[in-house]
Amino acid sequence: MNTNRRDFLTLAGFTSLSLALPRSLRANTTPPHVLVIGGGFGGATVAKYLKLWGGNIDVTLIDRDASHYACILSNLVVTGAIPMSRIQLGYGNLKTKRGVNIVQGEALSVDPASKEVTVKIGNDFFAYAFDKLVLSPGIDFINPAGNYNSDLTPHAWKAGTQTLLLKNQLAAMAKKQTFVMTIPKSPYRCPPGPYERACSVADYLKRKKSGAKIIVLDANASIQAEPINFGNAFTKTYKDVLTYIPNVAVTEVDSATKTIVTSQGTFKGAVLNVIPNQRAGQIVANAGLVNDPTGKWALVDPLSYASTLYPDIHILGDSQGTGQPKSGHMANSQAKVCADAIIRSFSGEAPDPSPVTSSACFSPITSKTASWLTASFQYDPVTKAMKRVEPSFAEAPRPTSDGMEQMFHWADNIFADSFS
Amino acid sequence: MQPSSKPHVPSTLKRAATPRTILALSAVCACNPLPAAPPAGQLLSSQCFQCHGTNGQPVSGFEGIGGENANEMYKELLEMSLRKPEGIMDLQIRAYTPAQLRLIANYLSTLPKTSESDDD
Ligand SMILES: Cc1cc2nc3c(=O)[nH]c(=O)nc-3n(C[C@H](O)[C@H](O)[C@H](O)COP(=O)(O)OP(=O)(O)OC[C@H]3O[C@@H](n4cnc5c(N)ncnc54)[C@H](O)[C@@H]3O)c2cc1C
Ligand code: HEC
Repeated sequence: MNTNRRDFLTLAGFTSLSLALPRSLRANTTPPHVLVIGGGFGGATVAKYLKLWGGNIDVTLIDRDASHYACILSNLVVTGAIPMSRIQLGYGNLKTKRGVNIVQGEALSVDPASKEVTVKIGNDFFAYAFDKLVLSPGIDFINPAGNYNSDLTPHAWKAGTQTLLLKNQLAAMAKKQTFVMTIPKSPYRCPPGPYERACSVADYLKRKKSGAKIIVLDANASIQAEPINFGNAFTKTYKDVLTYIPNVAVTEVDSATKTIVTSQGTFKGAVLNVIPNQRAGQIVANAGLVNDPTGKWALVDPLSYASTLYPDIHILGDSQGTGQPKSGHMANSQAKVCADAIIRSFSGEAPDPSPVTSSACFSPITSKTASWLTASFQYDPVTKAMKRVEPSFAEAPRPTSDGMEQMFHWADNIFADSFS
Repeated sequence: MQPSSKPHVPSTLKRAATPRTILALSAVCACNPLPAAPPAGQLLSSQCFQCHGTNGQPVSGFEGIGGENANEMYKELLEMSLRKPEGIMDLQIRAYTPAQLRLIANYLSTLPKTSESDDD
């Protein structure tokens, strides 16, 4: 870049001077600063790998919460099979083992011109300057019409208090009552996730609440992931307790009476688990980075996950709009591509021209068995997009107890690979 | 394209006391070199670490994959990518070209060996 020094000073303003200068103009002793917003699977992984691979880079990770609760395995918390502590992931290892600066605060806005993020910490507001910014805030919801209140009808699609709310409502169900759930319009976080929840709840009802039923209202025309395994589960394993209805458009929700009005009739349940339609995390919208044709996600260059609008702002995980599945495994995978590209850019190099990314999801089908789904992607230089490698895309031939065992090993390893 | 909505900036904004302190501190101990260009195969291999652990050292279950002989590893990976898929591993490995499997096998061989993989 040939921007002359004077222009740079005027552009950057005085306060963020040292960080706005290109590396060649900066004192050798000042390391570049990467600011990461969101300490979930994308954000934790990119922070860790920047430190692991990057040498002298300053990395600050900001999350609104003191620790992250993984959605991965969270359906098993809902049914009481595992405790909340099993999905609680702290930031202590990133701090002490990797040297990441950990800050608890809420990012409110991004100024791409001055390269600063406004963060609310307690009751104070701070401007955090960056050389590179990575946003991995996950999803936010498009709430349904009506008197919708997620405290009364929990989605449990972000883990934490929502997971416990749903767990408690499920546990409080009486025999012969009905659990009603909705499946959002694709694309949404974790394609197999809602079907996995339906199976976990159906299994629980069969074992614990005799005569109870589950009604699954899908906004989509068909099962969106693992059609064989979930199809078999719905039509065979759970045929006595589960009713699956596709093509359901939600008209309105009344959370107080746990009633949902849809294109296929009105339903009322003892538990109403509405999983609303989804969009990029709010901070991505606040930063003005939502620019895909649907108006929900951020377009990025999949060689670096840099925004197509601002080259120094990267968007990872569920919020980005490359069309790759929105999974934790995928967020971790993209984070490594992003970390590698950021490190290369600091030494003046172009990103790796042929990255590979992967997704893997393990889904409990019964309390003893699990299936899996996997897909990998290669960069296609012609379309400049990540393209699924078809021979790498498959669901498990059938749910097995081995699958259940592998699920827990995979969770342990991906939790550690992302958070420690 | 311009951002569609003006970001909300609170009126009581403080000029980043915290991060500047952090930066000043780390500047003092800036004894490491600038980030170097990453070694070949490092990024590709890291896509195995979600299951096989960071640097091929798992914390649970699956085999360690660090520090194996590069040629044997390459043969094994190629074999898994060609045989009738038996499990999730055989699908994962189909993502890569033979040239990429070569890079992965070479890079993994430079990593420390894990105790689990010592056994075989
Ligand atoms: C029931 C269920 C099951 C799932 N199972 C699987 C599975 O088997 N395999 C799999 O790979 N994936 C699974 N997923 C999907 C996976 O959880 C997500 O795709 C993944 O977490 C996305 O990573 P992310 O980094 O984009 O967001 P997240 O991991 O959600 O992280 C976002 C973080 O950003 C923080 N944050 C957001 N906004 C701000 C802000 N403004 N300021 C500060 N902090 C902020 C949040 O507190 C959060 O910690 C499942 C999801 C669900 C709901
Ligand atoms: C989604 C999880 C997952 C990912 C990602 C993954 N593996 Fe595996 N891997 C497995 C599982 C599960 C097995 C056990 C296979 C079996 O026994 O059927 C395995 C087995 C192996 C083995 C054989 C170990 C032995 O001695 O039996 C090697 C070698 C291996 N993987 C290498 C890799 C490499 C290299 C990558 C990255 C390119 C990779 N794996 C990515 C899950 C994974």
